[in-house]
Amino acid sequence: MAWEEIVQRYNRRIYNICYRFAGSADDAQDLTQEVFIKMYRTLSSYDVERGAFMTWLTTMTRNLLVDHFRKTKQDRVTDSMDAAPSEHEDAMPLSEQIEDKRLPPDARVQSRETGEVVHEALQKLSPELREAVILRDLQDMDYRDIASVLKVPEGTVKSRINRGRAELARLLQRIYRQVM
Amino acid sequence: MPGETHNGMQCNEFETLLFDALDQKLPEGQQERFRAHARVCGKCGPMFAEVEAGQHWLKSLAEVESPANLVNEILAATTGIQSYRLQAPVAAEHRASLGERIREWADSLFAPVWGTVRQPRFAMSFGMAFFSLSVALSVAGVKPTDIKSADLSRSGLRRTYYTTTARVVKYYENIRLVYEIESKVQEIKKVTRPDERKQEKERERNHKNNTSGDPEPRQERNYSRDENQPVLASGPQNPLAVSVITTRRDV
Repeated sequence: MAWEEIVQRYNRRIYNICYRFAGSADDAQDLTQEVFIKMYRTLSSYDVERGAFMTWLTTMTRNLLVDHFRKTKQDRVTDSMDAAPSEHEDAMPLSEQIEDKRLPPDARVQSRETGEVVHEALQKLSPELREAVILRDLQDMDYRDIASVLKVPEGTVKSRINRGRAELARLLQRIYRQVM
Repeated sequence: MPGETHNGMQCNEFETLLFDALDQKLPEGQQERFRAHARVCGKCGPMFAEVEAGQHWLKSLAEVESPANLVNEILAATTGIQSYRLQAPVAAEHRASLGERIREWADSLFAPVWGTVRQPRFAMSFGMAFFSLSVALSVAGVKPTDIKSADLSRSGLRRTYYTTTARVVKYYENIRLVYEIESKVQEIKKVTRPDERKQEKERERNHKNNTSGDPEPRQERNYSRDENQPVLASGPQNPLAVSVITTRRDV
């Protein structure tokens, strides 16, 4: 397969993973480029027998996202619903943090798309939970492949997915409860 | 509680079946038992509702389109070549006239070549080649204005052949005539001046017999003047000309 064909075929998928994980379109574009540059340099090292190309590519993407996360330190203090709430959290609940403060509640509901709200709520998940639900619910990867990409046992993957989904639901429930 | 039993299903079994239930992979009977447990159990019910809602929210997120220039940027960053595949459909939407269609066709045909040509390496090589060629042509004395288009038709080629042949034959004949005339002149000279010839032979003989080792007397020759014509000698310090009468001396 020619290099251009690989780029044409996989750029959208990689961009979506990066966009959902990093949160911003600009970061996603830069990260997608980085993924392909890295892939271009290491393409010869890909071994067909060691796994599917998509898994290899997703692993590379995930590793870059982890590096990016460490560099930018964004979401370092993630608000986990499972963790004990801190004073800061008491002062500003998660549902308030992801709200647009410039508009009144009614206008907020009308002006913002549901997808955007979910996308913003997703950014509030811890990176471990976020990557797990992105790979499962947005990329439709099976649990074994996700375990291979994240380098954790399948049971851990399922647990993270469970927690990620539940936490997201709680976040969104809070938001909608407040604006209703 | 993990060990609690509701509707014939324990909570730990519920947790085990949770993913199959969410992925719609449970058999009909088991699905019913699972739902019944979720309705009754105070722990598993809310937990399942949350997880299902979260899954629903995530599934509602549509796949986003990647930026239009992303592929080009990736290709430019990796190979240095830009892709024109994505640009073709965009242009196709606006086509209206035959001229535009022809231009698009030409663009799609030459776009990959143009992409290569636009690279700095290629431009540099082309520039160097052009410079070398122009220098070589100017050194060889070839002018672009001298170049004419060749007539490659059959009659044209025949005409060119006969013209060239006639030119070569004429040149050869002219050269032969010149040589013949020259040889005739030489012969006439020999016949009309036998004494000079004889003197020359004698001089040659004397020169061969001269074994004294003395240098040959220097002979000043002035081929453009008569024998008794005065010669004006002048120097940079002395602007006045000094007239000296020389006579040609035969040795």
